[in-house]
Amino acid sequence: MSGPTRSLLFTLVLCVVCSLLLTGAATGLKDRQQRNMRADRQKNLLQSVGLVASDQRLSADEIQRRYDAQIRQVWLDEAGRIVPEADRQPADLPLYLYVKDDCVEAYILPIDAPGLWGQINGYLALESDGSTVAGFTVYRHQETPGLGGEIEERWFQKNFVGKRITNRGGEFVSVRIARGKASEVVAPERQANYVDGISGATLTGKFLSSGLETVLTRYEPVAVNFRQNPTCPAALPGAGG
Amino acid sequence: MASKSSPAMQAFGQGLWSNNPIAVQVLGICSALAVTVQLRTAIVMCLALTAVLAGSNLIISALRRLIPRNIRIIVELCVISTLVIIADELLRAFLYDVSKQLSVFVGLIITNCIVMGRAEAFALGNPPWPAFMDGLGNGLGYGAVLIAVAFFRELFGAGKLLGVQVVPQAFYGAGYQNMGFMLLAPAAFILIGLLVWVQRELIERQK
Repeated sequence: MSGPTRSLLFTLVLCVVCSLLLTGAATGLKDRQQRNMRADRQKNLLQSVGLVASDQRLSADEIQRRYDAQIRQVWLDEAGRIVPEADRQPADLPLYLYVKDDCVEAYILPIDAPGLWGQINGYLALESDGSTVAGFTVYRHQETPGLGGEIEERWFQKNFVGKRITNRGGEFVSVRIARGKASEVVAPERQANYVDGISGATLTGKFLSSGLETVLTRYEPVAVNFRQNPTCPAALPGAGG
Repeated sequence: MASKSSPAMQAFGQGLWSNNPIAVQVLGICSALAVTVQLRTAIVMCLALTAVLAGSNLIISALRRLIPRNIRIIVELCVISTLVIIADELLRAFLYDVSKQLSVFVGLIITNCIVMGRAEAFALGNPPWPAFMDGLGNGLGYGAVLIAVAFFRELFGAGKLLGVQVVPQAFYGAGYQNMGFMLLAPAAFILIGLLVWVQRELIERQK
């Protein structure tokens, strides 16, 4: 057999063997991987409201148990009202509630925002006053490790706790990532709306700021409802389940 | 070190010590800086790389008479990337949190010069068994340096080993502080530099 034909044939056989192996591995392990990913999402959700510490190691079953006990998923219509699962429209937004003793302690928005290199997925939890941030977590991103990748680190995320998405007059302004230390680069009256940035990751911060603003704007109707009505027990029709 | 033993054992010993990929060949430094903040990630990275390296050496050596010379680099890369992706899939299925910490570095085993280097320099010219042992030796040699560096970084940087607090609280009370510098990449550079120095000095003495 001549040189080029042999090379082609060899490549062909090699490619078929390799792709069979990869397909086998990908399909065979898919269930397990998806279970891990779901547990990781649920853990992040619990973490965003402070129910689990980031370095706590829990089994998937334990996470599921705590999640079922304390988190409820609901749907929101355009006016920010909670709609029962049965009347759900395709445009309705998912929302998670942290319910304790029949009170809504906090509500959690899923974050899906563009980053510098890919989507950033995580959760932003807000207290039931509709303006104070209870926590922020990231479970998936493609930012540069050591730079933008720091968004998944505890030191960055913990700065969100206690920040506000409203200004002193109570108007919605979103929460943003500062270019540097918030206490040094932001005017004092606006520091409550800024978290410390990551040095070397200005662009990731910029993308995340505008992504958070987009998500928060979309969820503003429900935040308004919470601001007007932070009462407990919260009147939440259809929130059972 | 293993001058009287079989070629396989010789290959194994060389990778581990006298021809250590990090200390002597100075390959794979990039990942050695990135995954040595904690002992746990370093150990998993060591096992993943060793498995890939031994596997790729074995396969490439077994195919060495069949691989057309003109496309051998592509063939090597194909074998290596297949093994790396399988290792990555396995990690994501069984050690999800570690695989998240290792992030891109498992995928980057593909471009780790050690794997390509051993395939080219050893596996193509030697029978499968010594090639397999060469892969094992080099992988563990790489891993040993990684684990040594991670040991010091985690101990002095965070006061922990494998995530368990080992520096007693009383020390902190008496004014002891963790060295934040150890958690940054430059600390790994310095530690690797020191290890290379010590190891080469020892090799010199043996001669």
